[in-house]
Amino acid sequence: VGSNMAAAMELRCWGGDWGLPSVHTESLVVLAYTKFSGAKVTVSPIDWTWKTITATVPELLCGNSAVQEPAQILNFLRKQRFNADYDLTARQGADTMAYIALLEEKLQPAVLHTFWVDAENYANLTRPWFASRSPFPLNFLVPSRHANTALSRILLTKGEAPLHRITEVEGKIYSDAKECLNLLSYRLGTADYFFGNSPTSLDAFVFGFLAPLHKAGLPSSPLQSHLRQLDNLTRFCDNILTVYFSTESPCKIAETMDANLQKLTQLVNKESNLIEKMDDNLRSSPQHKPHRPDPKPGAKSSSPA
Amino acid sequence: MSLAAEAFVSQMAAAEPWPENATLYQPLKEDQILLSDCASSLAVQAYLRMCGLPVQVVCRANAEYMSPSGKIPFIHVGNQVVSELGPIVQFTRAKGHSLSDGLDDVQRAEMKAYMELVNNMLLTAELYIQWCDDATAAEISRPRYGSPYSWPLGSILAYQKKWEVRRKMNAIGWGGKSLEQVYEDVSQCCQALSQRLGTQPYFFNKQPTELDALVFGHLFTILTTRLTSSELAERIKSFSNLLSFCRRIEQTYFEDRSS
Repeated sequence: VGSNMAAAMELRCWGGDWGLPSVHTESLVVLAYTKFSGAKVTVSPIDWTWKTITATVPELLCGNSAVQEPAQILNFLRKQRFNADYDLTARQGADTMAYIALLEEKLQPAVLHTFWVDAENYANLTRPWFASRSPFPLNFLVPSRHANTALSRILLTKGEAPLHRITEVEGKIYSDAKECLNLLSYRLGTADYFFGNSPTSLDAFVFGFLAPLHKAGLPSSPLQSHLRQLDNLTRFCDNILTVYFSTESPCKIAETMDANLQKLTQLVNKESNLIEKMDDNLRSSPQHKPHRPDPKPGAKSSSPA
Repeated sequence: MSLAAEAFVSQMAAAEPWPENATLYQPLKEDQILLSDCASSLAVQAYLRMCGLPVQVVCRANAEYMSPSGKIPFIHVGNQVVSELGPIVQFTRAKGHSLSDGLDDVQRAEMKAYMELVNNMLLTAELYIQWCDDATAAEISRPRYGSPYSWPLGSILAYQKKWEVRRKMNAIGWGGKSLEQVYEDVSQCCQALSQRLGTQPYFFNKQPTELDALVFGHLFTILTTRLTSSELAERIKSFSNLLSFCRRIEQTYFEDRSS
């Protein structure tokens, strides 16, 4: 895709699922921004490779330079003239910084907790997903490593007192996160994007945090049910998915539909073959018509007996 | 504090008016307090003065250990103890004192976002400079932090604190930052605050809110605190509207009463 460019850019990130181009918040932020800014990058998912443990994702490789962390990657892309924030006023640029800080301080801890610390979600969704995307024997290592990082991040940033326990901060981080969702919902209102008619960095960040929460099949999540009550935020995610990621996702849906159709056709064919065979068998079987009259007399003969 | 406890406290708070003997606790002003705690304490003092709520400031060497959240400052009002600006704002609102009731939903979202920008950038930068810049940690933070205690307890507590802050910096991805990058972050943050303030007297025009108190607490403390290098203060001094903003709040809320 990027072959016609001076320096081809490669983006390493976690792969997609649940109807998303990536299940990983930071990867999604960068993927969304590349779409918004028109940057052509070759996306190379790290799934099923040893990079699941060695690489820090997302990572943008361009020539000899490697850039990590969403904020740094977005800065790098802006310097390469892929600037989705070009039309923003200075005041809107300031607002962007403030709202990204709000997301990091108030929403991120609860999102991390939902996916990596909540025992039910971790056991039924997050661990199986990341384990199935990591090669043996890393499948035993990758999920727990992420979970430990998430837990210590929550405790170190939101923990109170020196000997902090997770149960003490849970109530606080979830009420903060719900308030943050409400604030985002007020700020977005009925608009498609946060600033005007085209998406910017802030939209990429909000999308990255909200989309997994919106799309994941979480067994238990008060935060997810709260998000689903805020229609404008879920519409915001769906809109970005259809407008910017539909070239990929409809293909996938079509593919899976095709595959399913093929299977169905095969099954139907088999079934009809079987039915035909049975019919043939029945027609050709000696007990079929010629024998029907026989049991009757036999029955007649037997009933009197 | 659990949510149930929080709800209980706010109900209790609503019942009683603000007492005359409310007290704010912070570490010793001359020998002990560090930049970040001083900024947080000043922010709360500014907020209470903007609300017109009298509070007596008391310095205690063990203020950090007295605080229910382990954070500075905390206030003792009637029979309740509340720490940090966010919960204190909730507490005063329950008592019928609020600076942000006049804002609409979108403005309130904006106010909270900018408050998190200050916490996310300025507060983190202060902590970084105090404990992760070796010169500042050795010459200022460690001696001051351990000053009320005799050797070796003072040193042990200071190293423990330093270790805790460094772990936090690593967890949020600041561990690998250089001092220059941190100054650059502070500049960017001040640039954003300066843009947002523009030519208005306060962030939401005529009336100050808790955001004004928080920004004032941090900027004024950075401007008036001597560190090993004056670079941090210099970064702020290049934004003239932020300087006059600090002077305005100092004159309106701190000079009238002390004279």
